[in-house]
Amino acid sequence: MAFELKKGLFAIDEMRNVSIKIGKVVEEEEEWTEPMGPTPKPGILELRKWDHKLLERFEPFYAPMSDYCNLCTMGPCDLSMNKRGACGIDLKTAKARLVTIACCIGAAAHTAHARHLLDHLIEDYGEDLPIDLGGDINVEAPNIRTIIGIKPRTLGDLREALDWAEKEIVKVLHATHIGNEESFIDYESKAMHVGMADHIGMEVADIAQIVAYNLPKAEQDTPLVDTGFGIVDKSKPVIVVVGHNVMYSRPVVEYLEEQGRIDDFEIAGLCCTAHDMTRVSSKTKIFGPISYQLRVIRSGLPDVLISDEQCIRADLLEACKAVGIPLIATSDAAIRGLPDVSDWPVDKIVDALVSGKLPGVFLSDPEKVGQVAPLVAEAVFKKHGGERKYRFFETDEDLWGEINKCTQCMSCVFTCPHNLRIDQGMAHAQKTKDLSKLGYLEEQCLACGKCEQACPKNIKIINVIMASNFEKLYNKSGKTRVGRGPIQDTEVRNVGQPIVMGQIPGIIAAVGCINFPDEMQSIREILEEFLKRRYIVVTSGCHAMDIGMLKDEEGQTLFEKYPGIFDAGGLVNTGSCVSNSHISGVAMKVASIFAMRPLRGNYAEIADYILNRVGAVGFSWGPYSHKAASIATGFNRLGVPVVVGPHGAKYRRAYIGRYYKPEKWWAYDIKTRKKMNIEPAPDSLLVAVETKEEAIVQLARLALRPNDTSQGRQIKLTHYLELSQKYLGTLPDDWPLYVRSEADLPLKMKDQLLQILESDYGWKIDWDKKKILEGPIRPFDAGFNPTLVEEVYEKYAGEKPPQ
Amino acid sequence: MAVKKEDKYPAARRYQVADIQVSREATAVKPNVVVNLVKKAKHPVLVTGGQLLKDPKLVEFAVKFHEKGIPIIATGGSSKPLIEKGVKPQSAVFPLHYVTQFMLDEEWQGFDGKGSYDVVLYLGFLPYYLSRMLSALKHFSKITTISLDEFYQPHAKFSFTNLTANKEMHYQMLEEVVNNL
Ligand code: SF4
Ligand code: SF4
Ligand code: SF4
Repeated sequence: MAFELKKGLFAIDEMRNVSIKIGKVVEEEEEWTEPMGPTPKPGILELRKWDHKLLERFEPFYAPMSDYCNLCTMGPCDLSMNKRGACGIDLKTAKARLVTIACCIGAAAHTAHARHLLDHLIEDYGEDLPIDLGGDINVEAPNIRTIIGIKPRTLGDLREALDWAEKEIVKVLHATHIGNEESFIDYESKAMHVGMADHIGMEVADIAQIVAYNLPKAEQDTPLVDTGFGIVDKSKPVIVVVGHNVMYSRPVVEYLEEQGRIDDFEIAGLCCTAHDMTRVSSKTKIFGPISYQLRVIRSGLPDVLISDEQCIRADLLEACKAVGIPLIATSDAAIRGLPDVSDWPVDKIVDALVSGKLPGVFLSDPEKVGQVAPLVAEAVFKKHGGERKYRFFETDEDLWGEINKCTQCMSCVFTCPHNLRIDQGMAHAQKTKDLSKLGYLEEQCLACGKCEQACPKNIKIINVIMASNFEKLYNKSGKTRVGRGPIQDTEVRNVGQPIVMGQIPGIIAAVGCINFPDEMQSIREILEEFLKRRYIVVTSGCHAMDIGMLKDEEGQTLFEKYPGIFDAGGLVNTGSCVSNSHISGVAMKVASIFAMRPLRGNYAEIADYILNRVGAVGFSWGPYSHKAASIATGFNRLGVPVVVGPHGAKYRRAYIGRYYKPEKWWAYDIKTRKKMNIEPAPDSLLVAVETKEEAIVQLARLALRPNDTSQGRQIKLTHYLELSQKYLGTLPDDWPLYVRSEADLPLKMKDQLLQILESDYGWKIDWDKKKILEGPIRPFDAGFNPTLVEEVYEKYAGEKPPQ
Repeated sequence: MAVKKEDKYPAARRYQVADIQVSREATAVKPNVVVNLVKKAKHPVLVTGGQLLKDPKLVEFAVKFHEKGIPIIATGGSSKPLIEKGVKPQSAVFPLHYVTQFMLDEEWQGFDGKGSYDVVLYLGFLPYYLSRMLSALKHFSKITTISLDEFYQPHAKFSFTNLTANKEMHYQMLEEVVNNL
């Protein structure tokens, strides 16, 4: 007998004590005609072969931070010089384990955030809320399609993806327990696995919030919002949010909008929560990135502070107490020792905070946060009568008193992550009364506070630095484009061909935390170099905020100068950290929409496609968090190289190929049915550079791909060579490796380059025809169809790959 | 190699107080020790970093090393000021991260194809970045690394002491090295 069952509760007569459980309704599943690929919901093993291919070529590099391991009580163990720990582990494997742990932390952060948000949204909006990302999005969740093998239609469907991610993160974390893995390569494979899972966690979180909260849906011209320290109108109560989960700050906006009072308040944010808040309402503002926390708090500007989760200082309560700012902690990831007042009435919570009876509370009910925060802000604002302690010191005497205490002992310099020369700034000020040297440090300072802990004179160094640049800091403002979420399918269709053929020379994805290792303007200079050269620049998170704070000579930010389109010369802000999934997603979409490669459960083929054809390069300039480590590792598995700034060397490991080992650089060519030697493009998956000059040249270099057409290679090489000449003063060392025929050579330099190939590299040139006769690693072939994956070769060639 | 510490040289102090998880620390050396090490080397090389873009004095010293026949691998963009002064670096485009990865490979023949480098001098790097590279070489290679920078580098095999407070002394020490090569 067949019944048709509808959803909901129903009783079947005469069948007591029988429970019927109806699982996921798979009604529309058949509509998705794409066949299931080989690896839906992969475990640790399923993509291991792909990882090993990558790791064979892009060999892991280890730079231990510590010669010891002290993860368990059998240690501490000295692992230096080939010694092994009590558990048998060696140094490389121990470091690979540490990187795997860092990636697990990062992936767990996004995934737990997604879980928290999704469960809450399903409660509020129901599991049937459709996933609608706007008219131009048919490939709604490329990561979920490719990795999980499903096409999510509703909020409820996202659970299946999240269940998978949670399971895999736990499995990989398990493998980091003492006495498990003994191969560093397999640890790296596991790190890649959780890095990939991270992109699922991010995609779930961002899709859920876009559809439930109606954030921008792939719009190109999202509004510009204010960013910077000087953005808030100080004559209004100021509510400041910090963290990553918009679930707690959105109710504030909603409540004030309902009350018709949104314009009576200033709502500004720090870190990604700020980004997501501006996606909810462009009336909110962005103070700045992670490094602005102490700057904002010590300035005394906020009347109330709401913290949620991730990248929030672990001394937040102390910092707030010191300047009398009441704190509302909201996420169980960071309760901060505060009393849980979630079931108190609103007025009681407000009273406790305004009177100072409690310096802060833990309040996990988002709606209550929405009511409490404005009431507290208003009352606190009235209490101080709008007279905040804006400066970092009450008086100039206080500032100079601090400066004069300095003995130039340099304890601060040796503690500072950037080794900033605070001593010199202080000495200069003492001698000349000129604060400019100290003020200069402000732009590089992370406001991390380590120097203050080290100073034997207890100088409030951060306050001194901030006060020294007070006018500039306090008036700093700019514009950031509101995060748009995904990229439209139509945009992908338009740029697919030029990206794959190389006429758009590359996609530069500037993501992650920023915390400049050098002059603040360096990031603007780096990105503008590529925008002018008509690369596509994609950004998100703290990078997007900081880019919005930097103006050129005419006072314009990059967001004002370049359109928010995903096309040559466009500067796209996808949104917060979790919006990074749209960047991995768009690479997958190029494979799917432009090249018609099936995504469903088909990760290795898609990653192989991207590695060989899509000139995308990730970029993270400053020191960064665990999340950035897992995001980057997820990109690496997808075949996207990442360039990191000098602090990135502390990642402890990199993936760097050795271009001079020809046996490592090969591909099966589906067209000629041969295994061929190829050029080392790209020749690393993760590399740290020291200077902006190096960053620029590496980004251009790593955008080269084996499948570039002649025209594409010519364009890419032109940029690479020009940038190398401009910033390194010479042609790059390795350019001949990328030349397959004379058509690859930059037009303007063709003769000169042919000369060099002949004289320095011994290539044979036919000078009459200006043709290369002999020399290149391989000749150019327009039909070249490379793959590293045997199964992919077999699928398209219909036979086993050649040996 | 035990080196007597002379009073005139400041104490070897790590560029970052927390960088102490080190089982074997660099021997702090005077210029004459550096000279001897380089003279005994079969295939020495000087690697220059991005701080040359900020300190023209470092460029001058690198040029002098070159004039004394020490080949140069220029990273971080330091090639530009060197090339302007007539130096032809062995390599310019590879960041120190790559160069270190190549050096970790015993089969690598060097940028000049003459075999692996045995003594590598470093000049002009961000201390925290160089530190990681020195750590990689310390654990996974036999190369003798010598840091000539103003910050004492615990992971090097040999390093100048800490000269950050006294730039003049740093320049004098570099001068002494190049003059005696
Ligand atoms: S995990 Fe292994 S190496 Fe680390 S402390 Fe324990 S026994 Fe020693
Ligand atoms: S607060 Fe600034 S100056 Fe102090 S240690 Fe941190 S980055 Fe350096
Ligand atoms: S630690 Fe304090 S006293 Fe010493 S140099 Fe730094 S600011 Fe001056």
